[in-house]
Amino acid sequence: MIQRIRRFDWTQFGTIVVLLLLSVIFIFSARYQSGDVSLSGKALQQVVWALIGLGCYAGAAAFDYRRLAEIHWWVYAGAMLSLLLVFAFPEKNNAHRWIPMPGFDLQPSEFAKIALVFSLAAVLSLPSTDVDEPVTFLKAALIAAVPFFLIVVEPDLGTSMVLVPVTVALLFCAGAPARPIVILIGTGIGALILIGVWLTWLPDTCPFLTDYQKSRVLVYLNVNQDPLGAGWNKLQSQIAVGSGGLFGKGYLKGTQNILGFLPRTVAPTDFIYSVVAEETGFAGSGVLLALYATISVRCMRTAVKAIDLFGRLLAVGIGVLIFSHVFVNIAMTVGLMPITGLPLPLMSYGGSFMVTTMGALGLVQSVYLRRRKV
Amino acid sequence: MRIRRTKQIPNLRVYTVLAVMLGSQLILLGALWRLQVANVAKFEDRIQIQSLRRVRLAGIRGKIYDRNDLCLADNRPAYSIAMFLENVRKPGPWSKTVDSAMQVMQTVADATGLEPAVDEDTIRKHTRLRLPLPLILWQDIGPQPMARFVEQAGDEPGVDIYTRATRSYPYSPYTSHLIGYVGRADPGKLNETERYNYYLPEMGGRAGLEKLFDPFLRGEAGGAVVQIDVSGYHHGELARREPTRGGDLRLTLDMEVQLLAHQALGTNCGAVVVLDPNNGDVLAMLSGPSYDANRFVPYITSADWRRLSDNPDKPLLNRAVAGTYPPGSTFKPLVGLAAATADPNAISTVYDSPSTFRIGRRVVHTHGHGEVDMRQAIEQSANVYFFKTALACGLEPIIEQSLAIGLGQKTGVEVDYEAGGIVPDTNWMRTAGKGGWTDGDTCNLAIGQGYLTTTPLQMAMVTATIANGGYLYRPRLVQAYRAPGDDHYTDQPVRRVGKMDWPQSALTTVRGGMRDVVMAEKGTGTRAAVEGLDFAAKTGTAEYWTTVNGRRVTKNHTWMIAFAPFDRPQYAVAFVIEDGVSGGRTVGPRLQILMKGLLGKMESEGRIQTSETGPLRSEIRDQRSEVRTQESGNRNSAILTGAKAQVSDSQLPVSLFAGQGGAS
Repeated sequence: MIQRIRRFDWTQFGTIVVLLLLSVIFIFSARYQSGDVSLSGKALQQVVWALIGLGCYAGAAAFDYRRLAEIHWWVYAGAMLSLLLVFAFPEKNNAHRWIPMPGFDLQPSEFAKIALVFSLAAVLSLPSTDVDEPVTFLKAALIAAVPFFLIVVEPDLGTSMVLVPVTVALLFCAGAPARPIVILIGTGIGALILIGVWLTWLPDTCPFLTDYQKSRVLVYLNVNQDPLGAGWNKLQSQIAVGSGGLFGKGYLKGTQNILGFLPRTVAPTDFIYSVVAEETGFAGSGVLLALYATISVRCMRTAVKAIDLFGRLLAVGIGVLIFSHVFVNIAMTVGLMPITGLPLPLMSYGGSFMVTTMGALGLVQSVYLRRRKV
Repeated sequence: MRIRRTKQIPNLRVYTVLAVMLGSQLILLGALWRLQVANVAKFEDRIQIQSLRRVRLAGIRGKIYDRNDLCLADNRPAYSIAMFLENVRKPGPWSKTVDSAMQVMQTVADATGLEPAVDEDTIRKHTRLRLPLPLILWQDIGPQPMARFVEQAGDEPGVDIYTRATRSYPYSPYTSHLIGYVGRADPGKLNETERYNYYLPEMGGRAGLEKLFDPFLRGEAGGAVVQIDVSGYHHGELARREPTRGGDLRLTLDMEVQLLAHQALGTNCGAVVVLDPNNGDVLAMLSGPSYDANRFVPYITSADWRRLSDNPDKPLLNRAVAGTYPPGSTFKPLVGLAAATADPNAISTVYDSPSTFRIGRRVVHTHGHGEVDMRQAIEQSANVYFFKTALACGLEPIIEQSLAIGLGQKTGVEVDYEAGGIVPDTNWMRTAGKGGWTDGDTCNLAIGQGYLTTTPLQMAMVTATIANGGYLYRPRLVQAYRAPGDDHYTDQPVRRVGKMDWPQSALTTVRGGMRDVVMAEKGTGTRAAVEGLDFAAKTGTAEYWTTVNGRRVTKNHTWMIAFAPFDRPQYAVAFVIEDGVSGGRTVGPRLQILMKGLLGKMESEGRIQTSETGPLRSEIRDQRSEVRTQESGNRNSAILTGAKAQVSDSQLPVSLFAGQGGAS
């Protein structure tokens, strides 16, 4: 037992706890302006979610991750089934993303991301798998494609997009030949540029994107397109971040957030980072960024130290998954990327995502606990 | 499951991934630095003028035109004097700014001669809630104060003329029931996805077409992003999305005909509906008394409202579609057609029409007309003839035809409240708890009394169907619409719903009888006759009970239906006047006014040859015989039934034959 505790990755755990504390503090700030000062508001709900998340974390850390390799298909099948299940429920905000549960809405795409990491890691680490064979590539692509398209049709393009870097990173770290991966990445970037150009010049002819998605991309390409409509959140978020300055306006004093220029509904969820940036300035948002960098580093360190390839890939997959969310969310907040509905891990308000993130980080801890003895 | 050892794969790849991740985060850090620190000058400015407000600008309402593009619902500019508080602000506590605002307002008030319309409290509230918006000091000022303001107070700091579109109804008292009116709306309740900090006042449809087509007319709201400074005052406008215009409507209404109808109805309580029998277009639809819809814009004072809603003449009620009356003898042509459809011999059947008639145990006294056939029975409005006809053919054909032609149901015309009327059949009697159906009820129905009620619009529709040879059109009020941004109108379809299966011979007989009502010696409607116009009509007088000073008295709803010209009908008219003497005497002369006007209109538009004149009325009119026939025919029908009309409240109809009515 003592040995276990000594082997525990305290740095990773400590970073997580700090992030959870910050989350509750700034969700309270984000809700402060709408008169939600009671402790029964969203901040308190987030405390409950954080505690449930810590439970999941402990459970996952105690669980021997190697047993996952045996049951990963069940997890994968369950996640895909729940992705299909969302279509059985009525639309909400024009999308089938949620399964209504008593008290909250379950978002199965959060679980699907983790399930994808499990299955890819397990399949790529099979002794019978030869990563040099093209068929391995196809297999991995197929495993990723099913949740990808199920999430695209919900529609939730933002969430499905994070599956791409995860798949690529796992292939790469499993030792697949570098050239096809580089070609893949190049094609992807080329396609994105093509869509951007297409939307800018001929927005009406572009297929497969909904009007809503088109407008968001267009706003990203040109902020002045519609400052009242789709551009509003972006403009406000940028002003909020910008007005933070070097040291911020102080806790509970962010006027953009307090006066409700950031839509009240999204401030505690997708735009929580802009609340932090406004109130704590460059110093605070930089610290937050450093905390996330620490998580990335610890995940990769776990990967290097893992006892087997499955553990390594698990750590890489989860590390990249969390990083992708962090990057996309912050990039959107500062106006580097179009607005997508991706939450900021451990900070944003929300249950499903909190539970999956904490469970996944618990698994990384599990890999770390059972690492090679140097 | 065996698992490969990690050693086979170099750690280098994991470090590469880590490097990519950390590099990306460095990019984010750089972006943050640029946004938060590098552009210090830019953001210091932002901190001063950091806040933006979204102001919703109401859409511009579409207009409503008549068929000749005469504007019936228009937008006119309303000039207000507004104060821009950022220009009158004073340093220090708020009260200083409020005082300064009061001073400026007093100066303007002295210069223009306007009484101050806002008090200190309103200004204080405005500074708290809507500071970046102009404060309206006087709304919709007239040209005189406007001229004085420009001359004497135009350079007063912080005040200016503020223009806003407002609704006006140039033909209001004549079109109020159709067009309706707008009132102050609450755009915050529109459930829009875009949220705003401030909403400028907006008009929303409250009645009539304005209400029915509100989403179409309203137009799309625009918005402005307003910068405010650190104290909350207006600083500048950052961006603006102009509101767009709503769609326009073109009605089938012909204002010329509508004004003729108004002239004909005069100050009476009643309704006039004029349809085009060739397509069901509503050419005029008038309900009297009316009201001035402009008084509702932007809001009606409670005194005005009380005056309208407490008025016993119910000016807010659109009698043309929401008033239900027993049709009286104007129902007889349809009874004749129904009987002839069931049995083609009915048109030539001659019945003795004596002055007393026995149904069951009851003896009915009415005026005798001797031996008459159907054409004569219509001409003279012979009650007993129709009793016998209805008893011979039975109840079913009459009910069937009434329902087929659209009675007892809403016509679906574009009005915001329409009544359906009642066609009483045996089922209705049972569910309404009126007991079993008797022969007496059949006789009541045969002369359009008892439980039967119709709206003037429905009777105009019946008239149009008889006029055009049996083609059934649902009335159409909106001829075409023009969506925002369209150059051309899109036509609404003509609603032809079917054809009545009347034998041609029956139609000829009934139309002939209706022609005789106006044109022949013994006709009950000769008072409506117009020199030079050959047309057909039918009178009707429906008696109802009402309470005046606690005593029950009988009153008459008086009707005429008409179509003109007889050969190629272009107008089908239903005309009701409440509380009249009889159809021929009360409505006849009024219908004559309308018909004269329509004749003049047809002549001036070249739609009728003036030479095509009928027999000269003056030669064959026998004033005395006409009056006698008319009075006896109609008065007796009233005595017979003792039925009453329903004018939207629910006095229950009474029937003599059912033994429940007040027999006289």
